[in-house]
Amino acid sequence: MEADSEARQEKPISPALSDPERWVEDHGDYLFKFALLRLRDQGKAEDAVQETFLAALRGGTSFAGKSAEKSWLVGILKNKIFDYYRKASRETTFTDLQFYDEEEQERFVSNGIGQGGWIHELGPREWQRAGESLDQEQFWHAYRNCTGKLPEKVATVFNLREVDGLTGKEVCELLNITESNLWVMLHRARMALRQCLEANWFANNR
Amino acid sequence: MKFWLNKIKSAWAALSPNCREAVRAQSELLDHPLPLINRIGLRIHLLFCVWCRRYGKQLHLLHDQACKHEETLTVATPQKLSSEARERIKRKMQENK
Repeated sequence: MEADSEARQEKPISPALSDPERWVEDHGDYLFKFALLRLRDQGKAEDAVQETFLAALRGGTSFAGKSAEKSWLVGILKNKIFDYYRKASRETTFTDLQFYDEEEQERFVSNGIGQGGWIHELGPREWQRAGESLDQEQFWHAYRNCTGKLPEKVATVFNLREVDGLTGKEVCELLNITESNLWVMLHRARMALRQCLEANWFANNR
Repeated sequence: MKFWLNKIKSAWAALSPNCREAVRAQSELLDHPLPLINRIGLRIHLLFCVWCRRYGKQLHLLHDQACKHEETLTVATPQKLSSEARERIKRKMQENK
């Protein structure tokens, strides 16, 4: 299978008998969380994790240190997830232009004088000590909760671009969406996320 | 004549975006370049609009930091691999040795 070539390294060495179980114990949770964040479905995430471990077995490599091992497994998992997206984008569209359409409009003056300006009470607030917040683990829990509220297609687009760091072109190619739709979805997702974090984190003046 | 009037009209619109347009432009700039005239218009708007300046700062902060916290975000996912799935995967791996 072509995806397994990613698992194969320079010198294939058979893993020790206890390795498969150890891999699952050491990295199963992390891989599952990684997959769940992206696939949003427990069953699909479990399948992706299983396929990752099976591909890793076939690749047959040993690593010095758990962290190199984890990175390697995550690399395989990422490719499995990308394969899933490619296939899914042929069957269903990843475009969602409904999300936050109305909410976005409602933050601005709709007509008359000052049309298009921020409605006074709905403008962005000052974030106190924002840099410090982003160093705190709890902040990223709040961020995770906020992105969890994004609808599935928007979340997929957002995560690929913002968290995984794919370029706009790469996201479009992977998900079979147009660039202009991508930009609209990202704009609205970013707006919704900023608003959610302001309401749920920065408003509490942490 | 009409052609030039329209050109001037759209140039003027690009040079004086409202907040809604400025917010959208700031987001798009994270993903792709904008024509010079739109960038100039945005800069001018940001000179005078504290809200949009704030928005842009916050947008950039979240955008820049998200990809640096991939691991933290993953770990922050509350769910874990169920023990049933764990055992199933181990069994599958044994079968495939």
